[in-house]
Amino acid sequence: MNVSVKRMRAIFIKDYKEFSRNYAISTMVLMPLFLAFFYQSAGASTLDIYFLPINMTFAAVTTFIQACLIAEEKENNTLRSLMMSPASMTDILIGKSALVFSITLAVVALTMIILGFTPANLLILISALMISTVFYIGLGIICGLFTKTVMEASVAILPVMVIFSLGPLGRGLAETYPVLEVLKWLPSAQLIMLEEYSAAGQTSDVGIALAVITVWTIITLAVASILFKKRMKDE
Amino acid sequence: MTAEINVQHIGKSFKGFTALDDVSFSVQKGEIFGFLGPSGSGKTTLIKILTAQLDHNKGKASVFGIPVHEMKRADHKSRFGLLTDNSGLYKRLSVEENLSLYKDLYKLPDHAIDEALAFVNLRDARKKKVSKLSKGMIQRVTLARALMHKPELLFLDEPTSALDPGNTHHIYKGLRKLNEMGTTIFLTTHDMAEAETLCNRVAFLHEGKIKAIGTPSELRLRHSDQSMVVELTSGEQHTLPLNELTTAGKLEEWMRNQLIQRIWSNEPTLGDIFMEITGRDLR
Repeated sequence: MNVSVKRMRAIFIKDYKEFSRNYAISTMVLMPLFLAFFYQSAGASTLDIYFLPINMTFAAVTTFIQACLIAEEKENNTLRSLMMSPASMTDILIGKSALVFSITLAVVALTMIILGFTPANLLILISALMISTVFYIGLGIICGLFTKTVMEASVAILPVMVIFSLGPLGRGLAETYPVLEVLKWLPSAQLIMLEEYSAAGQTSDVGIALAVITVWTIITLAVASILFKKRMKDE
Repeated sequence: MTAEINVQHIGKSFKGFTALDDVSFSVQKGEIFGFLGPSGSGKTTLIKILTAQLDHNKGKASVFGIPVHEMKRADHKSRFGLLTDNSGLYKRLSVEENLSLYKDLYKLPDHAIDEALAFVNLRDARKKKVSKLSKGMIQRVTLARALMHKPELLFLDEPTSALDPGNTHHIYKGLRKLNEMGTTIFLTTHDMAEAETLCNRVAFLHEGKIKAIGTPSELRLRHSDQSMVVELTSGEQHTLPLNELTTAGKLEEWMRNQLIQRIWSNEPTLGDIFMEITGRDLR
């Protein structure tokens, strides 16, 4: 695997400059923070409510921003220029994900502080949050590579936002509508369940939840890589 | 000499449309090779195949002796530069910030940016945002990016299409200098004057096929009607066949009487030749 830290850093710095000058996208980071303030002042106390702004961060910040960054590169033909440079696929994908990864972790941390949420086991939750971040970044890369413009990407992302951020709430309706049982396998739902198991000391269940999120992540990254390789060539 | 580009019977079609049909040629190290053809003749398709952006359906092609499908490897990609009609520049970033990204991607020293900007005569615009640049300036920044790493081979797709005559002249001078330093240049153009000025050899591409290939003077000679024009001091012009005794006789007579104002050979331009071969002009 051909990896260069210098190249990844160059792409990260470029993305940071672009992101900080693109207010339409950069202001999205405020949304989960506002939501966190709202729930905190409304007296949030359940895990489902604590995790709503966190899962919203993943969908509306991580996936949305990543998809827009990739789609904009495609729209302006800059992605092809990057692909034609000596930067490898790994350099480009990691370089282009590093910014969103850092932003996500910062926003999730702030959200948890605003909500006053103390996890049962910080280390386990941090691991799950980091793996989840990679999953949502992968999802953003797929959305960005599938679409041709930022406009298209911002529309394509809507079902992703609904399914992954609001999906876990559907678990409550699973008794009435058994088909909704499937929602518990979403990585966003597994994240909440992981925290429940962690608080209850059910170590093996924590492991299963972490494994489910990891499997989602691996599949998403594999699809993103295949798609990226396809986009390196015209058809 | 070593062939820098070798193309053997390449064919490419898209859903029934033939973009390239049995195209064969080679470009030697140190050459400036021009591919001339009107829009849609297959010039860009060929560059995309040679730079591993597009697969071909038939034939074989290699660059630096390496099959083109392997050209996407990082170490091979740093050996060539590419300028296309799509600038691929970041509009929110300045000229310097754009070049700085590629300086790091190619792992070049800081002064590479200065040198590239001087080459395209854009030192004063380094802090300007790309979104504020004219089309010609954007093309010059793209060219600076393409040659910043001093590639062995430079692919230029219509390199001066958006430039004014002053900057075109500056770029020609720079490209010749780059070529003297060892860079092989493969350019596509529909500007016959550009091809005549820059290229050691040219190929005419029409409807995906190579119709003629050679040095500009070879082609002119091949398609010349073997005649010369003599303009007399009276303003009268006479077209005379070359290498015939009657011509020699007339010339001798006019020269004896000091009647000749100008003489020139009746050679066609590359544009005339293209028109003769394909029945259409280069635009």
